[in-house]
Amino acid sequence: MSDLSHVDRYPEIPVSLLASRGVLRTGEWRNMRPVARERRAPCSDACPAAVPVPRYLHLLAQGRLREAYETFTLRNPFPAITGRVCPHFCEAACNRDPYDGPLSIRALERYLGDAAAGLGLVGPEGETGKSVAVVGSGPAGLAAAYYLRRSGHRVVVYEKREKPGGLLRYGIPEYRLPEAVVDAEVARLGALGIEFRTGVALGPGMSLEALKEAHDAVVVATGAWEGRPMGMEGESLLEAGLEYLEQVARGHHTLPGRRCAVIGGGNTAMDVARVLRRLGGEVTVLYRRTAAEMPAIPEEVAAAARDGVRFEFLSLPRAAAKEAGALRLTVERMRLGEPDASGRARPEPTGETVDLEFDAVFKAVGERADLAPFPDAMRQEPGGWLAVGSDGSTADGAVFVAGDLATGPATVVEAIARGRRAADAVSARLGGGYDLPAWAAEESPDVVAPVEVNHAYFSRRARVEPSEVPPADRVGGILGEETAGIAAADALAEIERCFSCGYCNQCGTCFVFCPDAAITWDDGPVFDYDYCKGCGICSVECPGHVLLFVRERDDG
Amino acid sequence: MGERMLLTGNHAAAHGARLSRVQVISAYPITPQTTIVEELSEMVASGRLQAKFLTVESEHSAMAACVGAAAAGARTYTATSGQGLALMHEMLHWAVGARLPVVLSNVTRAMAPGWSIWSEQTDFLSQRDVGWLMLFAENVQEAQDFVIWLYRVAEQVYLPGMVAMDAFILSHTSEPLIVHDQDRVDAYLPPFRPLYDLDPAEPRAYGGLVNRDHYYEMRFKMYENMERAGPLLAEAGREFGEVLGFPYAPVEPYMIDDADYVLVSAGAMTSNVRFAVRLLRERGIKVGLLRLVAFRPFPFEEVRRYLGGRAKVAVLDRNMSPGHSGIFAQEIRAALSQGAPPTDVYGYVLGIGGRDIRVETVVEAVEDLLARDHPERCLFVGVKGLPIGPVRPDAEVRPLEPLEAEASG
Amino acid sequence: MKWDIPLGEEIHPGNLGCQGCGGALAMRLALKALGPDTVAVIPACCWSIIDGAFPVHALKVPVFHTAFETAAVAASGIKAAKDVQGKATTVIAWAGDGGTFDIGIQALSGAAERNEDIIYACYDNEAYMNTGIQRSSSTPSGTWTTTTPDERPESRPKKNIMEIMAAHRIPYAATCTPAYPDDMLRKFRKAKSIKGTRFLHILSVCPPGWKMPSDRAIEVMRLAVQSRVFPLYEVEDGLAYTMSLWPTEPVPPEDYFRVQGRFRPLFEDPARLERIKAFVDQQWEILVRRHRRTHPDEAGIPAGEAAAR
Repeated sequence: MSDLSHVDRYPEIPVSLLASRGVLRTGEWRNMRPVARERRAPCSDACPAAVPVPRYLHLLAQGRLREAYETFTLRNPFPAITGRVCPHFCEAACNRDPYDGPLSIRALERYLGDAAAGLGLVGPEGETGKSVAVVGSGPAGLAAAYYLRRSGHRVVVYEKREKPGGLLRYGIPEYRLPEAVVDAEVARLGALGIEFRTGVALGPGMSLEALKEAHDAVVVATGAWEGRPMGMEGESLLEAGLEYLEQVARGHHTLPGRRCAVIGGGNTAMDVARVLRRLGGEVTVLYRRTAAEMPAIPEEVAAAARDGVRFEFLSLPRAAAKEAGALRLTVERMRLGEPDASGRARPEPTGETVDLEFDAVFKAVGERADLAPFPDAMRQEPGGWLAVGSDGSTADGAVFVAGDLATGPATVVEAIARGRRAADAVSARLGGGYDLPAWAAEESPDVVAPVEVNHAYFSRRARVEPSEVPPADRVGGILGEETAGIAAADALAEIERCFSCGYCNQCGTCFVFCPDAAITWDDGPVFDYDYCKGCGICSVECPGHVLLFVRERDDG
Repeated sequence: MGERMLLTGNHAAAHGARLSRVQVISAYPITPQTTIVEELSEMVASGRLQAKFLTVESEHSAMAACVGAAAAGARTYTATSGQGLALMHEMLHWAVGARLPVVLSNVTRAMAPGWSIWSEQTDFLSQRDVGWLMLFAENVQEAQDFVIWLYRVAEQVYLPGMVAMDAFILSHTSEPLIVHDQDRVDAYLPPFRPLYDLDPAEPRAYGGLVNRDHYYEMRFKMYENMERAGPLLAEAGREFGEVLGFPYAPVEPYMIDDADYVLVSAGAMTSNVRFAVRLLRERGIKVGLLRLVAFRPFPFEEVRRYLGGRAKVAVLDRNMSPGHSGIFAQEIRAALSQGAPPTDVYGYVLGIGGRDIRVETVVEAVEDLLARDHPERCLFVGVKGLPIGPVRPDAEVRPLEPLEAEASG
Repeated sequence: MKWDIPLGEEIHPGNLGCQGCGGALAMRLALKALGPDTVAVIPACCWSIIDGAFPVHALKVPVFHTAFETAAVAASGIKAAKDVQGKATTVIAWAGDGGTFDIGIQALSGAAERNEDIIYACYDNEAYMNTGIQRSSSTPSGTWTTTTPDERPESRPKKNIMEIMAAHRIPYAATCTPAYPDDMLRKFRKAKSIKGTRFLHILSVCPPGWKMPSDRAIEVMRLAVQSRVFPLYEVEDGLAYTMSLWPTEPVPPEDYFRVQGRFRPLFEDPARLERIKAFVDQQWEILVRRHRRTHPDEAGIPAGEAAAR
């Protein structure tokens, strides 16, 4: 304050002599304060790999492709793969769903993966001198291999088949996941120095013990390939769906008969049905519950229907018999009962049967892992399932397990998450690791609820849906990739739909609405608590509710 | 040495503004001021005066526009009368608090109701306490010159000033005058140098909130400057004579040196008072006149010097402050109460609502003065049916008594 | 930053507005559009206080404080002086609803009729808030104020100041609110580019006077627009009407009223509430008609509105 102790120091009129900054500390009025606190978006929370969706989308929107890719691949190294095949739990959880439909997260993920095709993955900072074997090169094995390598370990991947990729290459049809995409990811891992040894399987020729001797740790991710017996009469007359897919993947595009049935309601069943359809079969899916209970990705079910696949719901085959060059399937009609452990309605027999005639019948009712290589010491009980910790650890400190082998048949993204966690567990044991950016190190477990989003900043707009490539234009012919990637403009438009729950995407809304000019902008809000009166506008208006309003001294 | 012309007081005032090179004029028409703004509009339209003329919708707005323009650094002028001046009152205060040397010519006019367009000074004197410099012009020459004189002083003390011109007697009466040459006026009145001019390069707030810790000091400084305006006015009046040929002063004595009885007047009636003084002198009565030119700042020293110790002082007020007396009478009595020899002051109110103040009226008042042996606060001259005297102690409010219409045919 | 808004401020932090003051925010946004070569003329209103007490001042542009009823004409005087001096400074009169709708309307009408080259912005919080929430002619029907108590709430609709200003055929008049900053800045920028009298009617929240929490200050102004209680539109030359925003989803006026304690009497008088809703609809339809008359070929009117006749 200037010295106004004498009349001679006064101006002639009441003219201001000072700016209010530094004089009127209106922050003293405050009893609540806004604090920026990033929290989890429900999409990230629902993602088994915990991909920070709003964060990478924001980087992508800013044209910061490499940062977007590196942010994504901190949690999942294969956006081009999951962007094609993921069942996108994220979209089901999206806070935008009840508003005007969930964000097209999977399409954006694929956009990222495809746009980042020329980029390499982040490699190790330094070498630990440790060596880790990864057995199996499906999504879990590849993910484990990547994070082990990024952590500074030498990594050798052992693969039974002639090429790495496992289920990605041999279990998912080309029209959903082109082999070239898998090749590119494998090449990217190779570029980091990961060694692939193909044609070697865990078993008599290469024991777990031998691997433990050759390496400091072993991660086993051999998947679940064994068909599960249904216990029906004439089951040997049925073909294994997954084996058929592998055969097709190897280039044998043969149709075993014109009239085909596929038993099951999961993704393998849909894959088999749609491949058969593409090769000219008349396909009927038999499922013991109804469409609502199908575990397959809904888009795949819908696409199968569009392809012309017929569905017989509440239908459980009880017997198969060969008859005059054809297969007669005796099917019992079911009805829905009380929910079972999975929460889905349990199918109950009605006793009513019907006979259906097919030329070939495929079983796709779930697979199980081959546990033969594992000693009883690693099992929950002798001859039983493996005892596996959530980080993939087993009773054998040097052996870790990931993917379907650890969880039973699950999704690609769950396998990737398991692979990463097993790799991190290995590093926790052997040393090494990779630096986490601040956001990842300090990630809050709180999830942003739908009511916290300020819808005023989002006009209702239909989500961007990826389009289908016309059959004639598909690369690779009849089995070529079916779904087109979305255009850059569509991707940007779709990213604008993101509520950015709990993540500051620097929209500037808080800055714009501060009546007190107490927020300055430096690529994000900077609060000047000397002047913030605590009106709370910024917190209420923050579209993704990153700004919380907390009591003074509570410090939130 | 200027141009000799025959002009009304109002047109002369317009020339005063023109010669002062006013930059912004804002005014609202009111009888009997209208011909001032008509003349100025003509001057602006013809390019003889480089100024903006805002033809606003009220006197309040006229003064507000002047205040705004002056705050932004322009020399501003307005003219009004009676009701208009009363409506301006709030903004007259504003011009003072903001220390803006606006100049206005007020054609003094009796206040309504009833509607009167005729001369009386109560409108002007009601603005006594706002803090404007206040001058009374007596003739057409002064109607012009006092505008220039006021700018010269007002812009030194950053206080506004107003000139009183009696309605019709001065505003609409044509007299010969010298309209000065512009270069001579320029030599007398330098360009306006504002204290502040709302320059965005130096952003400040002007006239905002002031709490009890600070208001008093700024009003004190304003008061000091009003005091300072007294000697400045006298000095600038002398200089007016040197540069422009017409010396002016805060008071103007007439036949006063040996006078036992001194009359005090202001404004246009002074001419008749002067004539009456001559007549009374011929009759051997030692009477003189002190004309008040400046009302604010009040010429205490001169009043004490010229009136102190006289046998009788008669103040002729064309105005009144009900419940007290004529306003000049109050002021004279107050001035003589400090440091002057004991002097009896007789207050006379006359000419209310434009009633003529003739030479005979003044003579009657002086005769009354001579006949009285002790002073009266307020003596009314020329009320129908009453001799000159104070109010009656038994005055009462009477019900309406309709006049009988004269039988027609 | 998703907003097209200058990062620089023409206001220092540390103003004396209440928490969540719409008037403080409106000024901050308006000056971002007008820039530093601006003089603000402020009559008696909340901003007489908000700017700070001697010797302190919050704005980074000169502020001339003037008497309650004189904003428009004091601004005209300042502009006249700037003109004489050859300066292009923008002069904005910044007044509350009392200083605009009531005591200042004469000077405003005069300035508008003369087409003085000023911007006149009225930040309208719909009552005399600075003196403690007394009714003004901008107070809407059904409102509680200290001079329209619960037993006898305001009985007359808000004065339609926009129609009054449009009737002066000034080159530009527009409504806006800080809840829609893009729209508001656009209108102030447009106003700055036009010569003559430009009038901006800003709906400006007053959390203490509207009896509502300060953190919902923006929301309530948004609801005013979305419920059509306060439509956003422009009037050029007094005749050409253009709607600035077509609310996309219907929001009943009750949603706007309910947030505010001052409208409590409305919810105890269902008949009046219904009349007010009908009035809102009627006013809206009048505007839509005028928009359609101005833009007869426009295809952009939402389907629901095109039906309005």
